[in-house]
Amino acid sequence: MATHLNARTVKIILPNILGYERIAMASSASFAKMFGFASERIEDLKTIVAEAAINAMQHGNKGHTDSEVTVTIRFKDNAIHVAVTDQGDGIAEILPRPDIDRIMNNLDPPVGFGVFLIQELADGVEFNKDTGDGHCVNIVVKKDSNQVEDAARK
Amino acid sequence: MQHENEITIKKQGDVTIMDIKGDITAFSDPFLSNAYQQAIVHDTRKIILKSNKEAYINSGGIALLIQLLAQIKRNNQRVVIAGISDHFKKIFTMVGITKFAPIYDTEEAALQILAAETK
Repeated sequence: MATHLNARTVKIILPNILGYERIAMASSASFAKMFGFASERIEDLKTIVAEAAINAMQHGNKGHTDSEVTVTIRFKDNAIHVAVTDQGDGIAEILPRPDIDRIMNNLDPPVGFGVFLIQELADGVEFNKDTGDGHCVNIVVKKDSNQVEDAARK
Repeated sequence: MQHENEITIKKQGDVTIMDIKGDITAFSDPFLSNAYQQAIVHDTRKIILKSNKEAYINSGGIALLIQLLAQIKRNNQRVVIAGISDHFKKIFTMVGITKFAPIYDTEEAALQILAAETK
């Protein structure tokens, strides 16, 4: 489905090359700044967008250099809605939360940090939504996150 | 695109400082490995991993850092981290890195703590 671009919706198309997630990070940071997000929340958004794009490149598109990753960013209801779409089969398996004690003792491989960070930093995540010609991860990042509210209560 | 790290090894007293320039990503693997090999030549027991507030650190870089911390732990060395931004302090705490390597704002603060410890 074509995305209607407007003053509150932008789309970035990336080549399937690791490192180019920085383009989406920088764009999302500029976008969030336009809508008054605090710098701490912008840093969260940058990490979320980077990790979702890296997952799309590595696991969705399986590293195929002729594939693309599309990042759509929309501001609605005081939150940024990020959709990261690959042209492959999506993420085969949502890995469990990495256990650093087991990793440090060589009992688990050091994997799963990208998904873990997205889940920890975002206010909502939906993985592997079938778009017909690929798969999409939908993420919500509130302007005033629960994290911030929780920290303020403490 | 530049994926290189320049890592300077400095020795101050009984502490070795690995000063990492550039982003820490999966591409940092050979640079971190080589730098650690250089660091252990000094027969060091205390290490500071120093980065900077502008560095981009992604999940690939976090995985490498944890592997490096595991290696340091196996070698019975003490390690701390210095210089990273508040955002990555939060990320490292979430991941659990701070259980194995406390974070200090500056190299000087880290040095002060390590210097005060029994050799």
